[in-house]
Amino acid sequence: MSFLDNYIYYIGAFGLILIGIYIILVKHNLIKVIIGLGILDTGVNLFLISIGYITKGTAPIFSRPGIDSEHMVDPVPQALVLTAIVIGVAVLALALSLAIRLYQHYDTLNLRKIRGQRW
Amino acid sequence: MVNPVLLIAVPLGLAFAIPLFALFWKDAAKYIPPVALGFNLVVSLLLLAKVLENPVIVSIGGWRPPFCINLVAGPVGVLFSAIIALVGFLVSIYALDYIKEGATEKYHMLYLLLLTGATGVVLTGDIFNLFVFFEILCISSYALVAYLRDKPGIESAVKYLIQGAVGSSLLLIGIGLLYGQFGTLNMADIAEKITSASPIFLFVPMVLLITGLGVEAAIFPLNAWLPDAHSSAPSSISAILSGIAIEVGLYAVARVIFTIFGVSLSTTPSFLLFLALLGILTLLIGEMCAFSQNNIKRMLAYSSIGQIGLILFALAIGTSYGVTGGLFQLVSHTLSKALLFLAAGYMIYQTGSLQISALEGMGKKMPLTCLAFTIGAFSLVGLPPFIGFPSKFLIVRAALATEETIFIVLIGLALLGTVIEGAYFFRVVQVLYFKGEKVNPGRKEAPVAALIPMFIFVVLIVVVGIYPKLVTDVLNSAASEFLNRLDYIRSVLG
Repeated sequence: MSFLDNYIYYIGAFGLILIGIYIILVKHNLIKVIIGLGILDTGVNLFLISIGYITKGTAPIFSRPGIDSEHMVDPVPQALVLTAIVIGVAVLALALSLAIRLYQHYDTLNLRKIRGQRW
Repeated sequence: MVNPVLLIAVPLGLAFAIPLFALFWKDAAKYIPPVALGFNLVVSLLLLAKVLENPVIVSIGGWRPPFCINLVAGPVGVLFSAIIALVGFLVSIYALDYIKEGATEKYHMLYLLLLTGATGVVLTGDIFNLFVFFEILCISSYALVAYLRDKPGIESAVKYLIQGAVGSSLLLIGIGLLYGQFGTLNMADIAEKITSASPIFLFVPMVLLITGLGVEAAIFPLNAWLPDAHSSAPSSISAILSGIAIEVGLYAVARVIFTIFGVSLSTTPSFLLFLALLGILTLLIGEMCAFSQNNIKRMLAYSSIGQIGLILFALAIGTSYGVTGGLFQLVSHTLSKALLFLAAGYMIYQTGSLQISALEGMGKKMPLTCLAFTIGAFSLVGLPPFIGFPSKFLIVRAALATEETIFIVLIGLALLGTVIEGAYFFRVVQVLYFKGEKVNPGRKEAPVAALIPMFIFVVLIVVVGIYPKLVTDVLNSAASEFLNRLDYIRSVLG
C-alpha cells in the first residue's frame, strides 16, 4: 500500500483534472460545463499543493522553536495556489455572468442548441 | 535611467483609477488610456536604445534572481512592449469617438488592463508571473468580446472563455510539473537546470505549456474560438485582439521553446520541423477559410490565423534569418491588421452590415478610410512598398537559405497561401472601388479621431516598408536573444 500512501494526492489531483476535462467535453449544459471548469481548477490546485507537501509537515516558520527544516512544507506552491484560486474565481464569476446573458438571449443553456456562430 | 517596472505599474494603477475618475467626470475614462499608453510608448522607446547593448534586469523585493520575481527588459521584451504601447495608443485614440454605447468606463478600464497584461507577459522573467499576466490579458479579453452584450458577442465570449480556461489550466499543470522537477520558477534558472534533466521528463511539461499557450496564440487545432471572438467584438477590440493578443501568445510560445527548453536546430531539429508543419497547416487552413467568407470581419479574423501560421513557420526555421523574419512579420501583421480592423470598423458603421457585398461604392463615399483599408490589405498580401513586402521577403530568403528540401517545399506552400490571401483581399478592394452605381453618393468620412490613428498606421507601414533598416537592428538583436539562451541565462543570473 505504500504506492497509494505516496501518490494518493497526485492520483486524486489527476482524477479531478480528468473528470473536469470529461465534463467540459461531454456535457451539453453550460452550467455543467462551468462546474467542470471548477473541478478542473480544483484538481490543478490540489496538484500544485501536493508538489510541495511533506507527510506530517508544518508551516515553515523559522522563529518557532522545535521545528527542524526537514518537516517544513514548501511555501512557494501554496502562494501559487492562492493566486490560482483568485484567478479561478474571476473566471468562474465571468463565466456565470455570461451564462445569465446567454440565457436571456436564447432561453436555453443547451450548447448544442445555440448555434448562432457555427460552433 | 527609467525603470521598466513603470511600464506595468503605471497602466495598472491608472486602469483601476478609471472608475474613480469616472465618478466625478464621465469623460475622464476615455482620456486615461491614451495618456497611460503614450507614457508607455515613451518609456519603451527610451529603454530601447539602452537594452540593445545590455538587457536591464529588475529584481523586485530586493532579492537576487532566482529568489525574486524579476523583469527582463531585453531587446525582445522592450520591442514587444513598444509595439503594444504604440498600437494600444493609436487604437485608444480611435476609441475616443468609436465607443459610445454601454458602460464606457468599463470598456476603457478593461482595455487598459488587457494591454497591461500583454506588457507584463513580454517583460516578466518568471514563469508563474507570466501565467498571471496571461490571465489578466485573457480575462479582460473575454469580457471585452462580450462588451456589446448582443447575441453573437455573448456566445463567442462563452466559447472563448471555455477554451481559454482549459488552456490556462493546462499551462498551470505544465508550470507545476516544471516546478516539481527543478524547484524554481525563474525562467533563466529553469533554462539552466533543464540541460541536466532527462528528455523523457521534459516532454510532458513542454507539450502542456505549448498547448496551453497555443490556445491563446491560435495555433491550428486550438483556434476554433478566434473567428467568432474577433468578428463579434467591437472593431477597436478586434484590432487589439488580432494585433496584440495572439502575438503575445506566440511570443510566449517562442519564449518557452527557445529559452526555457532550448530547442534549436542542432539539438532537436525534428521538433522544429513539427512546428513548421503546424505553422503551414495553420496558414493554409486560415487562408482557405478566409477566402470563403462573406462577412468582412470573419474574413479578417481568418486571415489573422493564416498570418499566425506564417509567423510560427518562420520562427520554426530556427536560424537567425528565420527568427528575424518571423519577428518582422509579426510587427508587420500587427500594424496592417490593426489598420484593417480600424478601417473596417467605420465602413461597417456606415453601411450597418457586415457583408462584403454591402461595401459597394464605399470608395467614393469614404475615400480616406477605403484608402487606408487598401493599403493595409496590400501590405498584408506583401506588395512593395509596404511593410509586408520586406517581412515576407526575409522569411522566403530564410527558408531558401536552409537549403533543405522540406523547407523549400513548405515555403512554396506558404507562397500559395499568399496567393489565396491576395485573391480575397483584391476582391474586397474591387468591391470598394469598382462595383456599384456610378452616381456620386456624397462623402461621409469617418471622424477625425479615427482618421488620425489610421493615418499614422499608414505612414508607419509605408515608411518602414520603404526603409526596413529602421527596425532590422532591433529585430536582429531580438532574434539573437531568442537564439542565444546562454546569454539570456547569464544576464539574468549574473
